[in-house]
Amino acid sequence: MMGTLGRILLVEDDPRDVELTLTALEDYKLANEVVVTRDGQEALDFLHCQGQFTARPPENPAVMLLDLKLPKVDGLEVLKRVKSDDRLKMIPIVVLTSSHEEQDMMRSYSFGVNAYVVKPVDFHEFVNAIKELGVFWAVINEPPPGSIKR
Amino acid sequence: MDLSTYRITGDAVSVKLARSEIIRYGASIVCVAIALGLAVGAVTYGIHDLELPLFEIAIVLVAWFAGFGPSIVAVVLGSLCYTYFFTEPLYSFDISHDDLPGFAIFIAWAIIVASFVNVRRRVEADLRVARDHLQLEMEQRKRRDEDVRKLNRELVMRAAELNASNKELESFAYSVSHDLRAPLRHVAGYSELLQRHASASLDEKSRRYMQTIVESAQRMGSLIDDLLSFSRIGRTETKSAAVSLDQLVGDAVAEVGQDTGGRDIAWKIDALPVCYGDRAMLKLVVVNLVSNAVKFTRARQQAKIEIGCVDLSPDEVEISVKDNGAGFDMQYVNKLFGVFQRLHRAEEFEGTGIGLATVQRIVNRHGGKVRAEGEVDQGATFYFTLSKARSAAERTANL
Repeated sequence: MMGTLGRILLVEDDPRDVELTLTALEDYKLANEVVVTRDGQEALDFLHCQGQFTARPPENPAVMLLDLKLPKVDGLEVLKRVKSDDRLKMIPIVVLTSSHEEQDMMRSYSFGVNAYVVKPVDFHEFVNAIKELGVFWAVINEPPPGSIKR
Repeated sequence: MDLSTYRITGDAVSVKLARSEIIRYGASIVCVAIALGLAVGAVTYGIHDLELPLFEIAIVLVAWFAGFGPSIVAVVLGSLCYTYFFTEPLYSFDISHDDLPGFAIFIAWAIIVASFVNVRRRVEADLRVARDHLQLEMEQRKRRDEDVRKLNRELVMRAAELNASNKELESFAYSVSHDLRAPLRHVAGYSELLQRHASASLDEKSRRYMQTIVESAQRMGSLIDDLLSFSRIGRTETKSAAVSLDQLVGDAVAEVGQDTGGRDIAWKIDALPVCYGDRAMLKLVVVNLVSNAVKFTRARQQAKIEIGCVDLSPDEVEISVKDNGAGFDMQYVNKLFGVFQRLHRAEEFEGTGIGLATVQRIVNRHGGKVRAEGEVDQGATFYFTLSKARSAAERTANL
């Protein structure tokens, strides 16, 4: 995934979900914009340009699609850390989760999430949701200053 | 300590009293006899004028230790002994005129002393009884306190257990929600992708198989969602407030009515009271019942749906939702409110079978009851009871 523009940061541990998400984004030619990190720590490394990401250009992604159930550092923790970091807190974050649990939603919003999306079981709905998210945040939305430019 | 043990101790006390009665009167007689013996002894040894004081001492002792009754007996016996043994004429109960005033004074003195002593004794006895009572009561209270403390400890333990199992249930629901839906989404997603990629090379049968896999995954998804929201009803707290059923039913009918797709439905909605309950939950009840009514009248030229209410008592009202739809056989009425129980085939009417279970759970949590009546092809009526918001004061107190 390195070497792409990386305007969409996808944080997702399940390879099947990664594949389905990329498939959905392919239709709008957005798949090559995606950087995939597989756990919370890797996502934080990417954002802080540390570990394996020391060489990457220091701009922020235009949007971060964040799963909640992640190995090592979980999604809510990543969300909390990013939103309390002055350099990162402007990155729009969309929580993308399997669960309808109200407590997850309440906590995500209290940490300042920009959108909360429950992955639909139905594939068409799933594809539509991902497409719309990708198009909106990576194309329509004007990202905050300091984000990776197209 | 309860009443029966009280009665038992009462009986024991009266038995003891009867026994002590004999002892007391016996003691009185014995005292007088001893005084008589001493007096006779004194006289034989030539010591005179000791008789009266001896009898007086005997009377005082009897009055002090044995009470009023025995002391009167002692007075009578003492004076009889005195007249018989020590006054002229000796060995007769006659009293000479000279001795009469002295004798009368002796009796009067003896009676006064006896009664004084007695009053004192009685006061003391009363005090003792009061003290015993108090002690008994203290013991009882101590025991009751101990009981209360024990019950309290048990209650705290139960609450902790309940809390723990609730937590467990919550984490169970949480992992179901997170972990069960993900593979399901993958089944649905990859089947769909396979369909897309291999559709051309698949025959009719294989395509149907693929379609079934996709549909089943979706169905399981909605079952899981329904089960989770059903379990959430049991876990979330209800917020009690006055709820205008008129408004609530209006909202519910408007919400359900949006999806009726221009069907001819004749609504008849009575004036409904203000009830107590959790508005969001009660709305779920009405939406479930109304959407059922709409669903099961689908085959009718004109659907008739009536929402009415009957007062069961000044505090309780029964709301009914009646339709002229598919109805049901009354012999299956007990299955109707079960989780995932369905009385119709999936091809006839869609749904997971959680709606009426949800209705029952919510109504039960509000302290009400649900019931249903129906006949195949003649329609069904669903009833649920709620407590009414009685007065404005009560209404505002609970808002």
